[in-house]
Amino acid sequence: MIVGEQKPLDEIKAMIADYEKVLVVGCGTCVTVCFAGGEKEVGILVSSLRMATKLDGQNKEIIEATVQRQCEHEYNEEVAERIKEADVILSLACGIGVQTLTEQFPEKLTLPGLNTTFLGQPMEQGVWSERCQACGDCVLAFTGGICPIARCSKSLLNGPCGGSQKGKCEIDPNIDCAWQLIYDRLKALDNLDLMLQIKPVKDWSTSRDGGPRHIIREDLRLEATS
Amino acid sequence: MEYAKGLLDEIGLGGERLEMYLLSSAEGARFAEIATEMTERIRALGPSPLRDGSSAETTKE
Repeated sequence: MIVGEQKPLDEIKAMIADYEKVLVVGCGTCVTVCFAGGEKEVGILVSSLRMATKLDGQNKEIIEATVQRQCEHEYNEEVAERIKEADVILSLACGIGVQTLTEQFPEKLTLPGLNTTFLGQPMEQGVWSERCQACGDCVLAFTGGICPIARCSKSLLNGPCGGSQKGKCEIDPNIDCAWQLIYDRLKALDNLDLMLQIKPVKDWSTSRDGGPRHIIREDLRLEATS
Repeated sequence: MEYAKGLLDEIGLGGERLEMYLLSSAEGARFAEIATEMTERIRALGPSPLRDGSSAETTKE
């Protein structure tokens, strides 16, 4: 899932300072599951902002809405009327949701209420950890299902660096060395031969290095456009 | 609980206005003690800064 964290209240207050009627829009998908921008968090933020801005002597109308998936236009249409009424939109979705609202409702400014943090998984209640960097050329088949791109601090592809200490990464003793995990996993699978295969320099053009990415599936498009 | 207190601090209302105590229904004397303690604390803090009568709707929250 996409994991995010709400921005500090003071930062949000500063962003909306010049606007009177603020619509806070949550998202019912990833950021709901990571307790950052779902209906519940929208409700808490709206109440907090109403009280905090009143204490600051500002007279704002802060209203709320939550859509199922803010990264798709059809869901956002449900709140189109409310968006028209607002002076500004504060999105509690990930950066994709913020930009979808921006593109869909260009007459209104959409502000980000979250910091979009990473693609990861919940480890336990209240703990999330990064698992994927969307590099566009998955290597998990060669690494026992453990990603060296996302989980090795240096994104190394041919084993650990000298900073691997007792299974931990030198940048933080709480971070596992991805290559220790990969070694342990391949050993358990009796597949350590994979460690001996030298991986060539990775073609990062499928990642961010190749610029903004698009996928076009002609078989799915409703009409051919150039 | 800590989260809610933190929210009240961030808002500017003060987290010390909120407290949670664990006790059983058999602890009447302790309940009275806690009620007195909280009453004194809130009196010392004074009325909620939101309670100026200008927005009944907001103060309800």
